[in-house]
Amino acid sequence: MLRASTAIEGSEVDLQVVTSGRSTAGGLPAEAELVSFVEAALGDDTDAISATRNILREKLGAEALVDAAAVIANFQRVVVIADGTGLPLDKPIALITVGIREELGIDEYGSARHTPKLGFFMRMIGLGLNMVLPMIVKRMVK
Amino acid sequence: MHEDNSIMTTQINETTRYFDYLAQGYAIREDLPSAYREVWNKIAHAGNWWRGEQRVAIAKEVRVARQCKLCSTRKSALSPYAVEGRHDSASDLSSTAVDAIHRLATDASRLTRDWLVNLNQQGLSQEEYVELLGIVVAVLSIDAFHRSMGFALETLPAPFAGVTSQYRPDSARDGEAWVPGIQAKLAVGKEAGLYEGSKQVPGVIMAMSLVPDSVRMQTCLSGVMYLKIDDIADFSKNGDRKISRTQMELLAARVSSLSDCFY
Repeated sequence: MLRASTAIEGSEVDLQVVTSGRSTAGGLPAEAELVSFVEAALGDDTDAISATRNILREKLGAEALVDAAAVIANFQRVVVIADGTGLPLDKPIALITVGIREELGIDEYGSARHTPKLGFFMRMIGLGLNMVLPMIVKRMVK
Repeated sequence: MHEDNSIMTTQINETTRYFDYLAQGYAIREDLPSAYREVWNKIAHAGNWWRGEQRVAIAKEVRVARQCKLCSTRKSALSPYAVEGRHDSASDLSSTAVDAIHRLATDASRLTRDWLVNLNQQGLSQEEYVELLGIVVAVLSIDAFHRSMGFALETLPAPFAGVTSQYRPDSARDGEAWVPGIQAKLAVGKEAGLYEGSKQVPGVIMAMSLVPDSVRMQTCLSGVMYLKIDDIADFSKNGDRKISRTQMELLAARVSSLSDCFY
């Protein structure tokens, strides 16, 4: 989803930020502040939450802060539904994300066991699709 | 909103104005508290498989789980199954239901199909589990919004009397998830409109469809906290939020990663 949205908006995101929290590119507006806010929000340190919230509000404004907090809270719900129902990735998504998942090490997550591993040929097809994903997404939106 | 953010409920009638952010001095777009109020109201009433008082008790347990010693010990253990004990509980719910709520609320990424089968064997049906899960995640999510905004947690609603409908949709089928669900093409009759007419339904929405009202509760929240179902697959849409779609997806992806969630 992140990769697809960058293709549409033409923004640059170093996908390593998803797993490491650190980005070498930092091309997205307020990227570091957004990531810091997520990391604080998922913890128990209220001082950290307060500090990162204030920084994000200064950077993007009060309304954007509310939208960010809502998205974070929404996905805290989504991940528990996925884990609580043993939900595998949808097949097309599993296919086109195989390269990204391998690159970021996401296949090592415990809940990856819910999604069957792709066979050799499907993996090759997935890697090929991965390269043309931005074009596919742009065409879908048009 | 109540100052004590623990586990309180309040005996107020149905017109009680929960989530009154404006009265607290916070300007928040109105669709958020409106959806939260709707969810609180749904939780307070009898569902398909749990009565109102049980549903509110489930919500209460979600908050208790954050301070539960057993959950804390299990969370730090190499395997949650290596630690025996009793959960700190604040309800009359069965120990099976309490375990389900606490595990979902505190350590969901290590749940297994065997764990769920074991719950089923101990008397918690698949339908009860899905309805319970829907309440757990709704409360988790709304509470998470409050914590990240620095708001006190909202008082839980007082339950209303009523009987369960015991409704199980005929169109629910076994699929790849641990619980049966309704595919988009089978969402007809009573379930027409369940997915807001969308044919591209995210798995996390469909996963709750063994209890259609749980889907309705999730889409109610998702539509205001993230995007409406139809907009999710259209990457040019951001729901007219003040952050871009890419910023939204960055937040979503980082939440998943920090939660050790593959999905």
